[in-house]
Amino acid sequence: MWMPVLLLLIAGVIQFGKITYLYYTLRKIEYTVARSVAIASGVNFCPDATDTLVQGAIAFALTGTSDGSGPPLVSNLTPGMISVTTECIDLATGLPGPCDTSGCDGVAGAHRPDYVVVTIPGGYPVQPRIPFILLDSFPLKPTVAVPYGGVS
Amino acid sequence: MTLQLAVILVPVLFGMMGFAIDLGRLYLIRGELNQAANAMALAAAAQLVGTSASLDNATAAAQQSLDDTNHLGNKYNFGSLPIGQTTGNLASTVNDPAFFATVADATGASGSTGTEAGGTTARHVRISLTADAPLLFWSMLPVGKSRKTAIAGQAVAGISAPLCTACGIEPLVVAALDTSDPVNFGFGTPGSGALFTLAFECLPDPSRINPITAPPTLAGTVLQYVIINRLDLANGILDESQQLYKNAAQGLVASPHPNPTGSPVPLACAGIGDASEMMWASAVPASCSTIIAPSASVSETLCGLYSRFDAATSPAVCTNDVTDFAGLSALYQPDTDAITGEGDLYSAYTGNRRRIITVPVVDVLGTNAAAVMTVIGFRQFLVEPNPDGSYPNPADPYGRFVAQYIGSPAPVRQGWFDDHFGLGCPVPLTSGPGKVVLHQ
Repeated sequence: MWMPVLLLLIAGVIQFGKITYLYYTLRKIEYTVARSVAIASGVNFCPDATDTLVQGAIAFALTGTSDGSGPPLVSNLTPGMISVTTECIDLATGLPGPCDTSGCDGVAGAHRPDYVVVTIPGGYPVQPRIPFILLDSFPLKPTVAVPYGGVS
Repeated sequence: MTLQLAVILVPVLFGMMGFAIDLGRLYLIRGELNQAANAMALAAAAQLVGTSASLDNATAAAQQSLDDTNHLGNKYNFGSLPIGQTTGNLASTVNDPAFFATVADATGASGSTGTEAGGTTARHVRISLTADAPLLFWSMLPVGKSRKTAIAGQAVAGISAPLCTACGIEPLVVAALDTSDPVNFGFGTPGSGALFTLAFECLPDPSRINPITAPPTLAGTVLQYVIINRLDLANGILDESQQLYKNAAQGLVASPHPNPTGSPVPLACAGIGDASEMMWASAVPASCSTIIAPSASVSETLCGLYSRFDAATSPAVCTNDVTDFAGLSALYQPDTDAITGEGDLYSAYTGNRRRIITVPVVDVLGTNAAAVMTVIGFRQFLVEPNPDGSYPNPADPYGRFVAQYIGSPAPVRQGWFDDHFGLGCPVPLTSGPGKVVLHQ
C-alpha cells in the first residue's frame, strides 16, 4: 500500500532534481551568451538587427560551436527562443531602463548599452514526468544581466 | 519482516530524498548568487578611475545591476527572489563592496585579505552577497528548524595589467615630451592639476621672418596632436564626418573591416609597437602662421569631444560639418560632471568618465600624410572647460582644448595585455591603462 506512494515520491524527487539541473543549465547558457556579447566589439543592438556576433554567441552557448554545428546542450532549446536585449542607465534616476533605439531608424544606431540582458521570453517548457499523474508543462524563464564592456 | 524493513527504510529514503532536493537547490542558489556577484563586481570595477568619488560611483553601479524595476535584475531561488531584500522569512544581504589596491589584497592570495584602499588608489573590488535559501526536508530536522540556511556568493573584479593593445580609445595621438620617461612620458605628475592645451599640429613656416612655431596656449603647456587614420572606407553606414565625430564622441568605432594603415591591429584599436600609424588623410597640419580656420576633419573631431560636455546646444560648425548631426548627437549624453576643471585636482572629478580620454603616445608626431609614427604607450587626460568656463570650441582655428594629464587610472573598454599582434610590445608592461577583468 505504501509502496506506490513511495515510488511516486521518488519519481517526484527525480523530476525536481532534473528541473533544478535544467534551470541551472539554462542560466549557464544565458550567462555565457551575456558575457560573450558584453565583451564583443561592434555589436548592433538595434531591435530588428540579427547581429552575427549575437547569433554566434548564442550558437556557442547552445552547442559549444560558434557555427551551431555541434549537438545542443539542451534539447529543443533553439536560438530563436533566446532574446538578447539591452538596458541603459537613466542619468536622471540612476536606474536601468530600456535603451533608446530611436536612432535605429537612421544611421545613428542604438545607444551604447550599460547592461546586456539575456532571457527566454516564452520560457523553456518543462513537463514533469511522474507515472500515472499527468501534470501540465510550465515554462522556465531564467534571466541574466551583465554589464556591457565592449566597443560599440 | 517487510513491515519492519519499511519502518527502517522509509525514513532513510525520505532523508536521502530530502538531502538531494535541498542540496541541489542550495547549489543552484549559490550559482545564482555568484553570477549576480560577478555582474556587480564588473559594474563596480569599471567605475574605479582613481578619484575620491569613484568608490561611491562603484557602489552605486553595483547596486544598479540588482535593480528589478523592469523585472530584469539578477535574482535568486529560481529567479524568484530579489537580491538584497527580505521576502517573507528569507533575507538577502548585499555587503558594501570592499575596495583594494592590489589583486592579492582583494583575493586574499597573500594569506589574508589586505587593507582596503581609498578612492584614489582602489583598483579592485570584492563583492559579497548572502541570501537565505529555503529548506524543505531539512527543516524537519533539528538543524533546519528555521527552514532556511544562509548561502554566500562572492566575486572579485578589477583593472587588469597594462594593455599592449587598447580598443575603443580616442584617435588623437600626442608625442612623448620625454621618451626616456616610460611612466609619464614627460607629461608630469598625474592628476596634479597641471594643464595642457592640446592643439592640432601646425608647422612653422620657414619662409616667414618671424614664423609662428606653435599654436597659442589656452592654459598650460601646448601639446600638439594629430588624428590617427582609422577611416573605414568600407563602412556603408557612416560617412567620413560621422566616423570622425563618433570616434571622438565615444572612442574608436568597432568595425570588422581592416585597418587602413595595413596594420593587423583592429580598426577600433591601437597597439604599442605599431610602427605603421599615419595621420588621417584629410587632417594634415598646416602652417601655424596662416591658420584662420580648422580643417573640417578637426572640427568634426572636436564636435565629438564637445558632446562630452553638452547635449543641449549644437555648435553651428557641427551642424554644418557633421552629416545628420542631430541624429548622431542624440546618442551621447554629457558627463555628469562637466564643471570640474582648471584649478581642481583630478581626484575632485565626480563624473561618469565621459571626459576621460585615452590617447596613444607616439615617439614623434608625423608632419605629413605619408609620415609613419610608432605607438609607445597609452595615457589618459581629463578634458576640461576652457579657462573662461566655456566648453571646448569646435570652431577653434587651432583645434585646441584644455586637458589635465592624469596618467592611466581608468580602465579602457577592451584590449589585449599580451603582444597579440606581434608588434614587439614589451610584455609585461609596467604602466598604462588596463581593462576590467573578473579575477574570481
